[in-house]
Amino acid sequence: MGCCYSFFCKDENSSQAGDVNERTHLLIDPVSNNVNIQRDSEDILSRNSSILPKKTDEQSALTRILQETAANVIDVAALGTHNLQQHDYLERMKLYNIRVQQIMNNSRQKFNRKGNCILQDIPNPERVLGSDPIAAEDLNLIISAVAGASAAISDIKVDHKEDLVVPFGLLNS
Amino acid sequence: MEKKLETVMDELIARPGVVGCVFADHQGLCLGVTGKASDDSAGIIHAIAEEAARLEPKSKPPVILLENDNRSCIITTTGTVTGAIFKSIN
Repeated sequence: MGCCYSFFCKDENSSQAGDVNERTHLLIDPVSNNVNIQRDSEDILSRNSSILPKKTDEQSALTRILQETAANVIDVAALGTHNLQQHDYLERMKLYNIRVQQIMNNSRQKFNRKGNCILQDIPNPERVLGSDPIAAEDLNLIISAVAGASAAISDIKVDHKEDLVVPFGLLNS
Repeated sequence: MEKKLETVMDELIARPGVVGCVFADHQGLCLGVTGKASDDSAGIIHAIAEEAARLEPKSKPPVILLENDNRSCIITTTGTVTGAIFKSIN
């Protein structure tokens, strides 16, 4: 109650300079003097308790805010401590290389098993790329052949020997 | 009806080195086949010719030569007809 009384009688309190009278605070608490003004009526009830628990309330509230903020902050500088060591890099490199080799072998077996792949890698592409183009004889042969075939196919006509429309079932009636 | 096409194919197969030929229409369906060639290959041959023609769409249809150690296959398209000639390499 002493704290509460000193709060309400604060305006008349002129003994801040150090004169000791009946209105002098027994315990000087700047936190309760400054912060309690902004508190709402619910907090007035809790002011009946002693000053020490209030202080811990403030501290715990501040600590809670600090923890919440710290939980929401991504500390980039602290991430450096999780960096991989050199031997970790080497181990992972070996592991990944082994995995890639396995997958390559599996896919190669698949292609070989299918056996219907027309195009394949060859060891010396210069030899193939540098080879002679199609012979003139073959070129003429294919061009004349396909032209002849095209002409022949365009000449195809259906020569029907029977009537296209047949009176079906009329003979029985 | 298709005697002219058969005549063309017979003349082709009589040429030295030619072992077979296939002709396909614009849908890859087989129009005729002679010698050592399968009518199943008509669709593939048409697809190869079509894909090769897409490399240079403004040029005239290309002549494609597929070759291995002992055989060669020459493909081209004229109009709607795609033809392939299989030759043996000596």
